[in-house]
Amino acid sequence: MATSNEGGLSKYVTLVSSDGFEFVVLREAACKSGAIKRMLDPKSSFAESTTGRCTFEEINGIVLEKVAEYFYYSYKNRNQEDVPDMDIPPELCLELLMAADFLDT
Amino acid sequence: MISGRGRGKIRPPRRGLGGNADSSDFDAMWDILRSALREIHEKNASKLSFEQLYRASYKIVLKKQGDKLYDRVKEYEEQWFGSQVMPAIRKLITNNLINTTVGGGVAGTTANERRITGEEFLKGLKASWEDHNTVMNMTTDVLMYMDRVYCADNRKPSIFTTAMGLFRDHILRSRLVSADSELTTFDILNSVILDQIYMERGGDVINRHLIRSCVYMLEGLYETDEENEHEKLYLTVFEIEFLKASRIFYQNESANLLREADASTWLRQTKRRFAEEEARCQTTISLLTAPKIARVLEDTMIREHLQDFLAMEGSGIKAMIENDRYADLTLLYQHISRVDPSKEPLKNALQTRVVDLGSEINKTILNTDFSAAPEPQPEEGEAAAEGNEKPKATKLSAAARQTAAAIKWVDLVLQLKDKFDNMWKKCFDEDLILQTALTKSFSDFINLFPRCSEYVSLFIDDNLKRGIKGKTETEIDEVLDKATMLLRYIQDKDMFERYYKKHLARRLLHDKSESADVEKQMISRMKLEIGNSFTNKLEGMFKDMAMSDDLTAAYRTHISNLGDIDLKQIDLGARILTSNYWPMESMGGGATIGEDGNRQTCTWPSEIQALQDSFKAFYLRERNGRMLTWLGFLGSADIRCIFPKIPGKEGVLGRERRHEINVPTYGMVVLLLFNDLADGEYLSFEEIQQRTNIPQQNLIHILHTLAVLPKCRVLRKHPANKDPPKPGDKFCFNESFTSKSVKIKAPVISGSVNKVEGEEERKDTEDRNDEHRGNVIDTVIVRIMKARKVFSHQQLFAEVISQLSQRFKPDLSMMKRRVESLIEREYLERVEDANTPTYRYLA
Repeated sequence: MATSNEGGLSKYVTLVSSDGFEFVVLREAACKSGAIKRMLDPKSSFAESTTGRCTFEEINGIVLEKVAEYFYYSYKNRNQEDVPDMDIPPELCLELLMAADFLDT
Repeated sequence: MISGRGRGKIRPPRRGLGGNADSSDFDAMWDILRSALREIHEKNASKLSFEQLYRASYKIVLKKQGDKLYDRVKEYEEQWFGSQVMPAIRKLITNNLINTTVGGGVAGTTANERRITGEEFLKGLKASWEDHNTVMNMTTDVLMYMDRVYCADNRKPSIFTTAMGLFRDHILRSRLVSADSELTTFDILNSVILDQIYMERGGDVINRHLIRSCVYMLEGLYETDEENEHEKLYLTVFEIEFLKASRIFYQNESANLLREADASTWLRQTKRRFAEEEARCQTTISLLTAPKIARVLEDTMIREHLQDFLAMEGSGIKAMIENDRYADLTLLYQHISRVDPSKEPLKNALQTRVVDLGSEINKTILNTDFSAAPEPQPEEGEAAAEGNEKPKATKLSAAARQTAAAIKWVDLVLQLKDKFDNMWKKCFDEDLILQTALTKSFSDFINLFPRCSEYVSLFIDDNLKRGIKGKTETEIDEVLDKATMLLRYIQDKDMFERYYKKHLARRLLHDKSESADVEKQMISRMKLEIGNSFTNKLEGMFKDMAMSDDLTAAYRTHISNLGDIDLKQIDLGARILTSNYWPMESMGGGATIGEDGNRQTCTWPSEIQALQDSFKAFYLRERNGRMLTWLGFLGSADIRCIFPKIPGKEGVLGRERRHEINVPTYGMVVLLLFNDLADGEYLSFEEIQQRTNIPQQNLIHILHTLAVLPKCRVLRKHPANKDPPKPGDKFCFNESFTSKSVKIKAPVISGSVNKVEGEEERKDTEDRNDEHRGNVIDTVIVRIMKARKVFSHQQLFAEVISQLSQRFKPDLSMMKRRVESLIEREYLERVEDANTPTYRYLA
């Protein structure tokens, strides 16, 4: 709470996977996801928005890592065209799709 | 339930599980959500984990139970409204408030009380709306997955929209329990806001911000859940009421103003109200309403009573124009252009004013004209002062006074024009429609004045003679501009041409023109304005003058080259005038036309004749086949006279005096007769007439100058009185003539001074003009018919009028007469058995 109130919101948020991995991600990048964006919206002041810590009980570490990677990938390339495709291992495809659906990314 | 699922390897999609979901799953998750909703409503959201709630709704939707969730949420909100929100609002709706709505202001409650209860109510409503909004935003966030998947798939309005609709139905549209009427919260809300606005219009201070919030609420709510832009509650319910109330308010206000105030107050109040309503739309209600309320204002404040205010005695448009109330007129213009892009009422009012004022000018001048003639004393000072004559000139002749009046008329017209131009620039935003209207009315009243052409020409004459003396170029330009502008208004351009030619001829021949440059400028301006054909002759006159100068110089060299011939040192400055260009008749030559129509020349003295012959020979040497006619009525001569000393007299008379006298040509002819006369001999009027062959009228004038007027009385008349000379009088040389100056200019009775024409002269000019017009019309008709061969009467006349519009407005009966005469002369014939009267051209 203290971190988030100092000079507005902290720049980073923590994403926690179901099996306990934590990813510290740039807030702006994470807000690529509609669900996370709303989760962290200071106006509605849910628990996550006050702590800056989002726990996803349905997403395991491997998938969440890929998700975080994607956040950065799309953040980095946000204003560009002709961006090369991101490398996605086929075995993760389905779960990533479900995570994307869940997170509204 | 969730955590138990294995992850990490590829599984069949979970959606397949939907069918197996049991209701206990749903209930459990709904329990979580419901308690969360309660917490949210009670503003305890920070305890909740968004992820958990989101996951719960996600699960429910995945299990195809979105519809159930949707309904449950809706139900929950309805209950919440019923149990928590509505009672609070009901409490705020006091009887007073209801009375305000129903009765529209009840005795017993002061405005202040009303305002406070109203504000309380609005505050309560606003608070519950804001709560609802936050809560629903959070709820929507939590139920995002449902919105995204269930609502989108099933074409249901999003849960947020639905919840807004619930607010509308359950709060705003709920009937009041206490009242048996149809009254809803909404009605009360409306009337409270309107009441507050009413108070503000009356000068109270209200909480604009609060009202703005409530208006925002209405703007955020729609008639149906489809959220059609045009069906905002604000537009469908509030705005209508608002406009209605405003209309009534402003109708009353403008009626009050009409009764109690003047037009000026009305203009200002209206302006203030416009600004107020504009501001109100910005700060208190919605900008969407701005154009509509403006229209209401236009209707009620301007359009309905415009005519009444314009006609107001002492402050209406008449007074505004009279007193140069530019601020008022500016406002008036702004207001009128709001309601009427063609500005009809203003235009009409202005036109009427211009024509009224113009006619007034016309009338005063005409009165001065005629009343001055028989009774010179009272009018004299005024006319003289106005015309910039020397005020001491008490003996201004009636003619001179009329000339002054003419110039005064032009001055007044110009003043009027200036006034309106000024107004137009300052107040009317240089509006084109109004300019056209003004121009038209000016033209109208100027043309109503029968002597406009003559007066305008006189005005130019006056300015070119002396008005421009000592003026800078810009000032001269200004004068010329004004003159050109007046010229633009004149319809009968041919009449003007006639006068201008006459006046110009006098200026040129008598060297009265101040500056040849300015003259030429004026002509080129007229050329621009009216066209080549108009200035053709005028330019010809200038050319003649230049040619004559060259010719005179050449002649002088010629004479000096001849050397030995002594012509008693008579120096000749000849002016060769092309007879077509110069208006001989109006220059004073009318009297020289004999009965047989030929010009009658006077008998020139032998010295002069010799000179004439010599010049003629010189002239014809280079130009074969031309006719020179000597015009005695024009020109002047310098005569050196020697008055002998008179024996026995002291002082001036005791010495010999030499004077150079400048006399008109006829004067010279007469004086030369006395050269051969012995002292004390007389010549009778008849003798002089016979020996000189000068037309009687001219002779009377010239003898009057020489024998009656004191300035140059070189002849003595018998009987010696101040009457004009008449046949039977006798004249002798006045050897006791004295004068202080060596050079004397004989005063000229008529001829060299341009002045207003007398009645007779004027009729003469008009007749000549009519005659000329007849010829012009003939020409135009023949030209048209030649091209068309067969042409109907109506078309022909229309064509003639349009072709002549540049020069004058032809008279219909004259045109008919011309056609008749053309038929007689077999230029045209009537086409028999045509449906409409038609003519055919006969080649």
